[in-house]
Formats: sequence, structure tokens, C-alpha cells
Amino acid sequence: MAEKTESKVQRLPAEQLFQKEIDALIAAEKDPIPTGWKMSPRSVLTYITGGKAGRTVITPKYIGHKRLVEIAISTLVTDRALLLIGEPGTAKSWLSEHLAAAINGDSTKVIQGTAGTTEEQIRYSWNYAMLISKGPSPEAMLKSPVYRAMETGTIARMEEISRCASEVQDALISILSEKRISVPELGIELPAQKGFSVIATANTRDKGVNEMSAALKRRFNIVVLPAPADLDSEMEIVQTRVAQLSESLDLNAQLPAVEVVEKVCTIFRELRSGMTLDGKQKLKPTSGVLSTAEAISLLANSMALAGSFGDGTITDYDLAAGLQGAVVKDDDKDGAAWKEYLENIMKKRGSRWLGLYQECKELNR
Amino acid sequence: MNTAAVRGVPTVFGVRHLSPAGAWNLLQLLEEKKPRLVLVEGPSDLTDQLPHIIRQETRPPVAMMAYTKKLPIRTILYPLAEYSPEYQAIRWAFENKRECRLIDLPSGVFLAIAEARQQIDQEGEENISGAESDSDEENGESATVTVYQRLDELSGEDGHETFWERTIEHTCIPEAYLQGAREFGKQLRELTQGREQDWAETLVREAYMKRQIADAVEEGFAPEDIFVVTGSYHVQGLLDDTPPMTDQEIASLPRLEAEKTLMPYSYYRLSSRSGYGAGNRAPAYYELLWEGLTRRKPSYTAYSYLSRIAAYQRRNGNMVSSAEVIEAVRLAGVLAELHGYSTPCLRDLRDAATTCMGHGNFGEIAQAVADTEIGTRIGALPDGVSRTSIQSDFYRLLADLKLDKYRSVTAQDLQLDLREKLTVKSEKSAFLDLRRSFFLHRLRVLGISFVQKQQTTQDKATWAEHWVLRWSPEAEIEIVEAALKGETVAAAASLHMKETVEAGGNIAAIAAVVEDAFCCGMPESVAYATAALQKMAVDAADVNEIAQTAFRLSTVLRYGDIRRLDSGPLLPILDQLFLRACLLLPSACLCDDGAAAMIVKGIDQLNQVALDQEQLDQERWISTLGQVAGRDDLNTRLSGFAAAILLERGKISNEQLSVEVERRLSKGVPAELGANWFAGLSMKNRYALIARMSLWESLDQYLETLDDEEFKRALVFLRRAFADFSAKEKSDIAENLGELWQVNVQQVSEMLGGALNKDEKKLLDELDDFDFSF
Repeated sequence: MAEKTESKVQRLPAEQLFQKEIDALIAAEKDPIPTGWKMSPRSVLTYITGGKAGRTVITPKYIGHKRLVEIAISTLVTDRALLLIGEPGTAKSWLSEHLAAAINGDSTKVIQGTAGTTEEQIRYSWNYAMLISKGPSPEAMLKSPVYRAMETGTIARMEEISRCASEVQDALISILSEKRISVPELGIELPAQKGFSVIATANTRDKGVNEMSAALKRRFNIVVLPAPADLDSEMEIVQTRVAQLSESLDLNAQLPAVEVVEKVCTIFRELRSGMTLDGKQKLKPTSGVLSTAEAISLLANSMALAGSFGDGTITDYDLAAGLQGAVVKDDDKDGAAWKEYLENIMKKRGSRWLGLYQECKELNR
Repeated sequence: MNTAAVRGVPTVFGVRHLSPAGAWNLLQLLEEKKPRLVLVEGPSDLTDQLPHIIRQETRPPVAMMAYTKKLPIRTILYPLAEYSPEYQAIRWAFENKRECRLIDLPSGVFLAIAEARQQIDQEGEENISGAESDSDEENGESATVTVYQRLDELSGEDGHETFWERTIEHTCIPEAYLQGAREFGKQLRELTQGREQDWAETLVREAYMKRQIADAVEEGFAPEDIFVVTGSYHVQGLLDDTPPMTDQEIASLPRLEAEKTLMPYSYYRLSSRSGYGAGNRAPAYYELLWEGLTRRKPSYTAYSYLSRIAAYQRRNGNMVSSAEVIEAVRLAGVLAELHGYSTPCLRDLRDAATTCMGHGNFGEIAQAVADTEIGTRIGALPDGVSRTSIQSDFYRLLADLKLDKYRSVTAQDLQLDLREKLTVKSEKSAFLDLRRSFFLHRLRVLGISFVQKQQTTQDKATWAEHWVLRWSPEAEIEIVEAALKGETVAAAASLHMKETVEAGGNIAAIAAVVEDAFCCGMPESVAYATAALQKMAVDAADVNEIAQTAFRLSTVLRYGDIRRLDSGPLLPILDQLFLRACLLLPSACLCDDGAAAMIVKGIDQLNQVALDQEQLDQERWISTLGQVAGRDDLNTRLSGFAAAILLERGKISNEQLSVEVERRLSKGVPAELGANWFAGLSMKNRYALIARMSLWESLDQYLETLDDEEFKRALVFLRRAFADFSAKEKSDIAENLGELWQVNVQQVSEMLGGALNKDEKKLLDELDDFDFSF
């Protein structure tokens, strides 16, 4: 883990945050390294799922589904493009950033897919002032992240690909199959260097927005990221990430106790699945996704509350406020479901949950 | 091994059962050593079955089976696939004219041990499925299981199957396989020694096997000319210097009388039996491995596996391009490399297929995977080989009943006329179809897939039966398994029915057995099941169950003489049941709508019984219905339904009906009760209802009297009541209403028949959420 940087940057890219781990892995490298990569596939796996490099402990970045990470890395070794699909908050972007950071030491070649993304942003565009004054020249050209990745034989990331319009998505087809971009204005053609690939992410909830064409899908290996399989792995994820966040955000509060994490994860999992953890009781699910990512931000939020306005430990009061905001998205229905959950489930859980129950109830009065 | 041979020790080749690499490497070593005697782990008294196993017509998978003749029946099963090391060893020996023997404990001893173990387990708290044969199989939380669990954790894979496949199954160097498997067995042994529940059994087996080896040496086979094939776990036990078993010890072994046979086996069965030795989770994939080894092309397996999945997907209309298959091959290769191996294993291949051909969803290719990994191969044995007595009986009956030609893989129809044929001379042929029916019903009762009974078109025809017959090797397996129940088809069916009766359950289930026994033409079984039914009927309290039972008995009685069995003893039981149903019915009708749906069926069945069996107390039935129809405190739908039956049977006049309609549909009655009553009434004889104009007038007037809120309530129920009316019926109703309202029939009909528009639908959806609390 990186030491407390005095950096003013709000959020450092993964390769800077985990610089030490990456350096240690490169130093301890024993396996063959694919062209264009900084470390061997096995070291990338260690970087993502945790382990040891020499004496340095590598923190796990993605917990739970190791096999999926293996498949993702192997895909990139075969220079196929990788598409990560999953519900919101299943760590798609997180995984994609860390893969790029480990493989290239650079996770910043990103295109954020939105409804406004244009084809130029995927290929290249021009500095029009220069274009008009001097005509087309390499200097007047603005290279897209994909273009730069092809030039350098590295990985470009495409976030939320299904949010882009279909014709923009399809611009990727020729790049992924031909592995070259032609620039007719300059009369050149850029062939991709070995090591070039694309990691795209897409949201299953957005499926209907701009369904990806079959032609494009065929050019990707698709890995579906599931929600954490059980309470323990979800708690582990939350604990690790909250610890990392609190350092980079300078939250002046103690890390949440195991019991607090357990409570939040339990509530989230139960509301998500519409069933108590033991499977014995059905309950009304709420409209929000209640992803692991939300649980993390809820706890960070509670820490901020505790740090700024309290004594630095998360109290049931802080937690209740956070839960209220996370669970109740659509007032009427969610509010009712939440109240029902409080009365039918939480109240009956005994003294350990009593404090939280009372605070939550207070807010719903 | 050369050093061992010099010292005059037999070669002991440790294998994993159903291991292709084991089979291949074993063959290489056999070719090299050319031993004079091959000894294989397996019950020694089954040695006489070996010639059948290697006959040319035999196609694996087949299984050697031994079973006890006394109840409860116990079995042990030794399945062999083409790639079983044991099978290849046996084949090699016969092809090269060397002697081959099985050397494990005789099957009778295994069966006795299994029985003893189960008794111990029943006494103790541990419950182990002891009937399964191979003692290598793991039960409960044994020491071996913990070792395997730790192995799973250490190898970082999804299970030791994968670990085994990666480390051993791709080995093509005989010496390496031999050493690897031996070391694996040795370490497993050291880790679990003495802690396994069946450790004592293991020692006894090994002592017995050593004795067999010693006997062979005494017969004059040089030790280095002897080649032993055994589970890798036993290698150490056979090589150490504990003494072989003495004659006295052999005589003191417990023994049960056992029958033995060979049976064809299927890949599906192999895959569905879990546990080491007895099964294999992906038999068809292992066959691919075997083919890859025999072709000496390690990559063959991966290519065929992935192309087969692609081919299956294409056959089923899912586009898979060759490019995707190529990508999958590459991905599988890299996944294997990531674990430090050069050849992908099943897990890598499956994951690669999921990613490249299934778009990340295993579900998309699940069927293709099942087809490629498990497959549909079924073994075959030459005709007449080790036929069990039930098989002989089956084939004899098949010939006797002239059903031989139906033994083919294409489905064929068979129409039976159970009546006596007056045109023929002998009694035997006069009742040919009846005897056929008995035979086919017996097979049906035994669950043998050769026969399928179809519904006859005239559903009241008691003398006609329609069967579809289709032969499959699976059916042969099922018949062999039925041998466990009896020597002949009839005996097996009889025991099966007896078991069903003994298993208890409700009276309806036993009545089903009575019916089965009748269909099978087995008077003793009928008597037995009837007696059981009699005993249980006394306590029966559930109207639906009684109705179902009475209905079944009535069916049996209706067959009457056609099956030439005396159904007399059933009459008093039916009387008794019918009376009880009449007494219980009114109070059972005091129920909610969910239960009412069931009771409607029960009432209908009872009415059918009453109609079919005239000797029953008809008056009581009518008065019971009258009671249900007339009381106000019962579920109104049931009251309505009872009224409908009375109407159908002509026990209510037009006037009575219209009085009842007005009473039920009056302003004071809560709307949903009224509408529910109408729903019950309209469940039967709709034609008669539609024809009665007065009914529609009353209904119309009634709706007029309701206020908005009440109307909404009534609407929900009425909508449900009319939901299953046919289009024709609806248009008839429209005609009635048109006449009533003096409007165009066409318009009404369109209103009733047309689809709902958006607003109407929304309104109705809201009604579904309507709160009915008062």
C-alpha cells in the first residue's frame, strides 16, 4: 500500500497508488513476459488477487472470483479484446483499471463512454486552429487514447461502452479486427504494435440503451462479473476498500469495526436478494441496486460523518443516516420496504442490532 | 521397475479407475514386459465373466454386477469404460493369449461386508451409504476427504479432479505414470492410514490379493512374469511384507450368496454415479482424452472438445464462427500456461468455451457442454451373454406374445383389444391382447422405458389400449436392474407393488396400486393392496383423498369382467369410502378459495363415481349436494358448483334455480360472495346456463343494483368466472345480452371478445391489487 502521499490530487491512478507493489513484482519476476507487457501474466494475477512478491505483501484488489481474473488476463495474453459485463458496482472499472496498471504501468488511456461520445474520440481528431492555418500535419492531429495505445502497443480502456451510440461502438470493429487505423488526411496508416488491446466495460442494467452489435461482441472475449458470492467475501472487499479509501481521503475516523461492516453487508445482501441470509424469510427488495460499491461509499461516508462531527468512531446514528440515504431511493415504495425490513427483520435480531434499529426507526418517524 | 524385476517381484501397476492415461501407459508397459499372467483388481469369482467382456460384439461401457438374492437386495457394481485401465489390461491379456484373473475378495464377501457395515452404521450415529461397492469410495467426513480438501486448497484449483487431470492424465511416459500414481497412492495411504472407517477392509482385501499372487507363483508363474493392475492406493499394501491370507482366514470370511451378471452400461449412468471408482464426471470427455492418447496427439482432445461444442451450438441454431473456436483454443492454452502446464484440462476448455462461445454465460452453452462431456453412449453385450433370469423371462414372454418385432429403436404403435376374440380356436390366442396388456402393464409398473401407455381416444373405452413401444439399451439396463426385485417379470412387478404399499403414503397412492395390480392381472397383489387399503380407509379424513381413491376404485370396477378378475372385494370398500365422503363433504366445504379449487375436483370425481356405480347410495349423494348447495355458511363457489351438478342431474327445476339465483345475487349479500357463487355455478353445463334467459336477466338486474364500490368487487370475480369460457360461448352470451339490452348483437360480441385497450387494462390491473379486507 502506498504511503500517505502529500499529493493534492484527489484520486491517484492505480499505478501510482500501488507503485511499490508493481515495482516489487517486476523485481521478483521469474516467468516469461509477453511483448509490450511490464510483467508476466502470473504476476498480474498476483497483483490483482493478492499474494507475495519477494518480501512485499501484495494486497488483493479483486476478491472472490479468482478464476474470472485468470480468464481476463489470459484473454489479454492472446491479444483479444476483453469485455467486462456486470451489474453496477461489481468492480468492472476497478478491475479494468488495475489490469491496465499492472500490464502497462499505465491505466490512464481511457475513453469514457457516454451518449455524447463521437467516433473522433475513438480514432483521432484535429486541432482545428492548426489544421486551418497549416493544413493537415501530424502536429495538428489529436490522438485518441486508442490511437496512442496502438502506437505504443499498450492497453486502452473503454468505459461504459453500451452507453455510446451504436455507430460509435462500431468504430471499434475495424480497429479490433484489422488492428490498424488509417489517416487518409495524412496518407498514413497506423498498424497496432504488439501488446495492443482494449478492455471495455458494460453494464447489464444498461442493456437496452444501446445493445452492442453481434459483430462487435464477437471481437471481444466476454467475462461476466457476478456480485460477491457470499457474505464473507463481500465483507472482505468492503473492509479492504474502505481502508484504502480512508487513507487517500484523509478521513479522520477509525476504520469501521467488523461488526459494522457485517451489519451493512448483511442489510445490503438481504435487500438485494429479497431474502434473509439464512433463506428462511422473504422480504421486499428495494428499487436501488445496493451494490458492494455503494456499501463501500456508505461506510466512507459514515466515517466522514464520524470524523467531522463525531468522536471519530462510527456510531449507529451515523450508520443509520447513511443507510437511509442508500436504501431509500424512490420515496414511497422503498420507504415502505425499508420500514418493513426494520420491523420484521432487524428488530427481531436481538440486542446486537438494537441500537441500529432504534436509530433507523427514529429517522423514519 | 527393472530393478524390481531383477529381485523377482511382480510388476504392480497402480492406476486410477477410469483413467485414460492409466490405460494407455499400462498398455505400453504390457507391450514392453509381455507378462504371462495379468492380475486385475476385481471380485475373483467374476473371472469367469471376462471372456464375455472382450467378445467382439461387446461394446463398453459395460458393468459387472453381483447381487444378493435375499431381501434387502444389495449390489456391487464394477463399471468398465473403453478407457478403463482394467478393461484394457483384460483385453491385452486375451488378445495376446495370456492368462488373466481377477484377484480381489469374492463378491459374496463384499456383499456380506456391506451388509455388516450398514448394520454397524444403523447402530452407530454415522449413516453411510454402505451398499455401494468400492471400498475406496469416500463416505462422510473421513480422513481421505480431509486430505482431498487440503489438496484442493493447495492446488488452487476447483477440485482434485482437475489436479489429477493436470498432473497425471496428460502423461505419456509409462514409467512416469507408474511412479506418479504410486507416489500419490503411497502418500494418500500414509496420510489416512488407520483413520479410514474401512481401513480393516482394505487390509483384508490386500491380504487376499497377496494370497492370489502367491498362489500364482506357486502354480509356476515367475514373479517377474506377473503383472498386477490395482488402484494406486493398494500398491504399497501389495508390495510390503505382511503375510498373505491363510486358508483358515479365507474360510472364516463372512459370505452371502450372490448372483452375478454383466450388464450394458451408459455414459449417463457413469456420470451420475459420483464417487471415486464408481463413476466419472465427464465420461465422453475422458473418451476424447483416450483417443488423443491413442493417436499420440495431445492437442486432439482440446480441438475435438471445442469443435464439438461449436458443432452442437450450430446444430441448435446458435451461430458460432470458426474464429471463435480458434480463440477458445488459444484462450484454453493460455489458461493452462498460467498454471504452468502445456495442455489445457477440462476446466480450462470449459471456461474458454464459456468465454468465447457462450459470451461469458455458461448457461448459453450448458447443453452443448453436457452433450460433449457426458455424451449419450450406451454399451452393448452380445445376445445371450450372462442373461439374468428376468431377462430370459422377458425375452421368452416377448416371443410368446408375438411382440418380438417391437424390439426396435423406432417407436411403434400397438393397439390392443382386450375382449375375447370369438373367431379363434384356442383360448390362448383368444386372449392374446389381454395377456399382452398384462405383460405391458407389468413392465410399466417396473418403470421400464420400453413401454409407454397412451391415452385411448375414446376415454371411456374399457376394452381398448394404446401403447407405444420403443426399444433402447437403457431399457435393457432397467430390466437387469429389475432382476433385483424378482426372478420373473411378474415376480418383480409383484414385489414392486408390495414395496409401494409398504412404503405407506395416503390411501390414494394405495388405490393406485390396486388399479395397477388389476391392470397387471395379478390377483394376489390386488388382494394384498386391497387389504392394506381397507385398513387405511378407516382412518381417512381428507375428502379429496377419498374422492381420488373412490374414483380409482370405480375405474377398476368399470373394467369389470374384461380383465377376468374378480373385483367383488372392492365393492364394500367403495361403499364405505363413498359414505364417508358424503358425511365429510359439507364440513369440508367450509374453506377458503384456495382449498375450494381442490374440493371442486373432489366433488366432480365423486359425482362421476356415483354416476358410474349405480349400486351406491344415490339418494344420500343428492341430499349431500343439496345440503352444500343450500347452506349459506359454506364457500359460495362450492355451493354454486353443487347447484350446477344438481342442475345437470335434473334435480333442480327452472323455478328453483331462479329463486336460488335471486337469493344468492341479492343486494344484501357482499358482492364477491355472490359473484363467487356464480363462478361455481358456471363451471358445469354451460350450454344449459347460456340457454336459460332468466338467469341472465337476474344477473343483469343484480349488477344494476350495485353501487360503484360493490361493482368493482363483483367485477373481479365475474371476470375470473368468465375467463375460461370459449369464444363461441362468449358470443352466445353476447347474443343473450344483446337481446336483453335491445342492442346490436355484433356490437356486444365485439365488446366481449375484443382485446382490452390500455386504459381498461390498467384499471383491471389496479383491481387485481384491490384490497378485499372489510
